[in-house]
Amino acid sequence: MLVLTRKMDESITIGNDITVSVLEIKGNKVKLGINAPKQTLIHRTEIYTAIIEENIKAAGAPQDLTMILDGKLC
Amino acid sequence: MLNVKTTRFGEIDIDEKRVIRFPDGLLGFPEQKGYVLLEHKPGSPLFWLQSITTPYLAFVTINSFPEKKDYLKDLQGVEKGTFKGVEDERVIVLAIVTIKQNNTKNPITINLMGPLVIDTETQIGRQVILEKSGYSHQHPLIFS
Repeated sequence: MLVLTRKMDESITIGNDITVSVLEIKGNKVKLGINAPKQTLIHRTEIYTAIIEENIKAAGAPQDLTMILDGKLC
Repeated sequence: MLNVKTTRFGEIDIDEKRVIRFPDGLLGFPEQKGYVLLEHKPGSPLFWLQSITTPYLAFVTINSFPEKKDYLKDLQGVEKGTFKGVEDERVIVLAIVTIKQNNTKNPITINLMGPLVIDTETQIGRQVILEKSGYSHQHPLIFS
């Protein structure tokens, strides 16, 4: 992992079109500003990971839902 | 017609117009871009989102649940551009269903934090992450 130290109002550039700026530092919280092309997907990592894990779990659905849903939905 | 091989439903022939393209795939499945929606049973709110290239890959999705009306209203507030068309039914919103067979308390949850949004006119879909909506990716599905 590349590690860089930045101060308030400083930024880093990733590739040709992404910049990440430090907007505010308060206690243990850092507010970041990100400029990136519209199609770049940006997410909080823990949320991104949670959705991936949930998708993987959901992908293993059994064919016979009738038993599980007990006739309430199907 | 397109012949789709599936592990759950055997081989099925579908009209190519029914193929839904997810340019970014679903999260965790970036290479899987082509799907088709199959009714679980006539009149059921459940639909299978079946991959057209990977026979075993299919997600159970639901298009109506008790909170849907409020949910759609919230979605429109969160991401205005994405959900344009929800009112006129051009865009459909589906929640992926997770079935946890070994969890007896909440055996069925729906992912309201990462819904699937499909534009039925272009047949383009994407999975949207609603970070600030307050909705859970493991929302219990309660039968009324």
